[in-house]
Amino acid sequence: MANFNIDSKKDRTYDAIVIGSGISGGWSAKELTEKGMKTLLLERGRNVEHIKDYPTTNMMPWEFAHRERMPKEVVDANPIASSCYNFKESSAHFFVKDDEHPYIQEKPFQWIRGYQVGGKSLLWARQTQRWSQFDFDGPARDQFAVEWPISYKELAPWYTHVERFAGITGNKDGLDTLPDGDFLKPHDLNCVEKYFKQQVARQYKDRHIIIGRAAHITDAKQIHFDQGRAACQHRTMCERGCPFGGYFSSNASTIPWALKTGNLTLRPDSVVHSLIYDEKLGKAVGVRVVDSLTKEMMEFYARIIFVNASALNTNLILLNSISTRFPNGLGNDNGLMGKYVAFHNYRATVSADYDGFLDSTTDGRRPNSGYIPRFRNVYKQETDFLRGYAAGFGANRVSYNDRSDMGEDLKAGLMETKYGGWHVGSHMMGETIPKESNFVALDGAEKDAYGMPKLRIHVAYDDNDEKMVKDYMEQMTEMYTQAGFTNIRTHDSHRIPGNDIHEMGGVRMGKDPKTSLLNKWNQLHNVKNVFVTDGAAMTSTSTQNPSLTYMAFSARSVDYAVKQMKAKNL
Amino acid sequence: MTYFYDSRVTENGIELTESILRKNMERRSALKNIALAAGAMISLPTWAQSWKQSELQATNYLSVEASQLLKEVVEVIIPKTDTPGAGELGVADFVQLMIVDCYDQPTQDRFKMGLERIQALAKAQGTSFSKLPQPEKLQLLKGLEKSENSEEKSFLNLLKNLTIQGYMSSEYVMTNLTHYEMVPARYHGCVPVKG
Repeated sequence: MANFNIDSKKDRTYDAIVIGSGISGGWSAKELTEKGMKTLLLERGRNVEHIKDYPTTNMMPWEFAHRERMPKEVVDANPIASSCYNFKESSAHFFVKDDEHPYIQEKPFQWIRGYQVGGKSLLWARQTQRWSQFDFDGPARDQFAVEWPISYKELAPWYTHVERFAGITGNKDGLDTLPDGDFLKPHDLNCVEKYFKQQVARQYKDRHIIIGRAAHITDAKQIHFDQGRAACQHRTMCERGCPFGGYFSSNASTIPWALKTGNLTLRPDSVVHSLIYDEKLGKAVGVRVVDSLTKEMMEFYARIIFVNASALNTNLILLNSISTRFPNGLGNDNGLMGKYVAFHNYRATVSADYDGFLDSTTDGRRPNSGYIPRFRNVYKQETDFLRGYAAGFGANRVSYNDRSDMGEDLKAGLMETKYGGWHVGSHMMGETIPKESNFVALDGAEKDAYGMPKLRIHVAYDDNDEKMVKDYMEQMTEMYTQAGFTNIRTHDSHRIPGNDIHEMGGVRMGKDPKTSLLNKWNQLHNVKNVFVTDGAAMTSTSTQNPSLTYMAFSARSVDYAVKQMKAKNL
Repeated sequence: MTYFYDSRVTENGIELTESILRKNMERRSALKNIALAAGAMISLPTWAQSWKQSELQATNYLSVEASQLLKEVVEVIIPKTDTPGAGELGVADFVQLMIVDCYDQPTQDRFKMGLERIQALAKAQGTSFSKLPQPEKLQLLKGLEKSENSEEKSFLNLLKNLTIQGYMSSEYVMTNLTHYEMVPARYHGCVPVKG
C-alpha cells in the first residue's frame, strides 16, 4: 500500500497547477504548457468542448420556444443570473443558478458567474482596449489605493504577444490615451458614427470616436488557422459559443492549444478548496480540491500555482487557505486581502435621434461598436471627481413595420420595411476608486454545497461615482447637441455593482508588501511560488474592459515564473 | 412549466399529438404538445437542460375550446392570403406558451377573460365567433383594440403583439418572406437605402 500511495502522489504531482480555465487561466495554461511545464488545469464547472458543447450555436430563431425570452419561473428563481443582458434561452446553460452558488450580499451585488471550462470567456463582450501609462499612473497621481508596480512600457510587449494569438480587430488611431495594438483590420464605423467622429474632432482636440478594438478575427492569419479558427462571420450570436472560433475564448483557442502540447491535464468538476502551505518549505506545495460530482476531497501538487479563479473566487480561495503561518489567508500578513475591491460604473446611457443620412443605412451585422476613450482628467485633474469614464457609442438606422391595422392590411404592413431616422446611443464605463470599505470576506458560519465558506460581498457606489454619472450625461449631451442630434435622453439605470461583470481587486499588486499582496510579477510577496493573474490582482480599474490586461499579465507572469524555476529560484 | 430543453417533449411528441386528437387530453400533456408545435425539436445534452423546470405546472390554462378560439383569432389578426396566415403557422400555440410561461398569473387570468369576452361579444350578435363572417370578426377585434375599457384594450394589445412576434419569427416567414440571414459574414457601415 505504501507504494500505491507514493505512486498516487506522484500521479497527482505536476510542474504547475492553474486554478480556473476562463480567460486568464486559459492563458496561464497555454503559456506554461508551451514552455514545457506539465500543467494541471482545474475547473470547478463541467467540461465544455469547443463546438461539440455549444448546443444552441446553430439553432434558428424559431427553434427557441420563447424566442430567447426566459420563462418567468426561471427569472423569478434567478434574479442574479437573469439580471445579465446575455442571459437568454440560447446561452442560459453557460450561467450558474442563483440557489446552487449562494453568497451573501451585505450590499446589493449581482455576481454574474459562468462555471464551466472556458468560464465567462464564452460570454464576454470581447472588447479589448489596452491600458495606457495614464491609466497606470492613476493611483499614484490621485492619491488613492497604492502605486502600480508596473508601467505600460513593461506590459506593452505582452499586449502584443496576446493580441497576435487571440486575434484583435482594431484601427491604429494613434492616441496616447489608448495605445494601438497589433490589430487585424478594423470594423466599419457607420455613416452617423463617422459623422459624429468628425463633429467631435472639430469641437474638442482631446475627444475621439473610434471603432472598438475587439477579439474578433477579421482577417485570419496562419496563427489563427493553426488554432483551428476562422474569420468571424458576423452572426453576432457569440454567447452561444462560436463554431468558427471567430471570437477569442479559452475553449476555441488557448485550451485546445495547450492540450496539443501534450503537457496539459484538464480536470473539470474540480472545486478548489484551498492552497496547501508547507510550513517547513515556506511555500505552497499544492491544492485541495473537492470533486463536485463525488464531493470527495483530494490533493494535487506542483512547484508553482497560478490562481485564475475569477476575481472574487480567487479572493475566496486564498482567504480560505489557512495555515499556522498564514491564519488570515495565504500571503495575507497585512490583512488587506479581500479589500479595495472595485468595478466599473455602467449606470448611465444617453440616446438621441439624428435625421441626416436619410438615404443611407447599414448592411449586415457588427459584433462591435464605436468607442470613446477616456478624456476626463487624463493630463491633469480638471473636475470635482477623480478619474473618468470611457464610453461605448453606436448609431443605427431605425426601421419598422406598420403595425397599426389588423387583418390583410396588417399582414401587408408587416412585409414592408419603412425607415425612420437614425438612433444614436452611448453608455458610460466609469472608473471606480478602490476603497478599504469595498471588500469581500469569508462568512464565519455559512458554507456552500462544497463546504466552502460563503463569500460576503460589501461593495457599493460612492459620491465620486454619482458625480461621474452626472458629468458623463452633461458631456454627452453637449457633444450630441453640437452634432445636431435631437431628442436627447439621459438615463441612470442605477445598475447594481457586479452587473458590469468587471469586479476587480482584493489581491492587489503593489511595490510594498506592507500595503499590497502581489509584486510586479503578480507573485504573492510572501509566497513566491503562487501567482495571481486574474482580476483580483488589479490595483485600480481604469475604464478599459479588463480581459486583455489579464491575458497580458498571465503571459508575462508565466514567462517570469518559468525563468525563475529554471534558475532554481522557485 | 414546459421548457424546450425538456427532451421528453421531443421523444414523446408524436404520440402526444395523436392522443390529443383522440381524446380530451389532460392539460399538462397539451402544454407539452404546444412546446413541440412551437419548434422544440432540438435535443440538447443533459447538462444543457439544467435550466428546465422540474415539473410541469399543474394548472389548467385554456380549454380545448378556448385554444381553438385563439387559433381562429390569430388567423383573423394575420389571415391567409397568397401566403399562410397566423393560424396555419401555429402562432396560437406560440401565444399560449408565452402567456403561460412568461407572464404572471393576473395577466394569464386577464388573457383568458379576454378570450371569453370575444366569445361573449359574438354571442351578443346571436352566434359564435367562428360563425361570424370574416369582416365582422375583424370589426369585433378592432372594437376591442379601440375599447374605452383598458382591460379589453390591453388584452388585445398583448394578443396582437404576441401574434405579430410569433408570425414574424416563424420558420415560414423568416425563411420565405423576410429571408433571415443566419450568417451575414459582413458589415457595411453606409449603403444606400433600397427602393
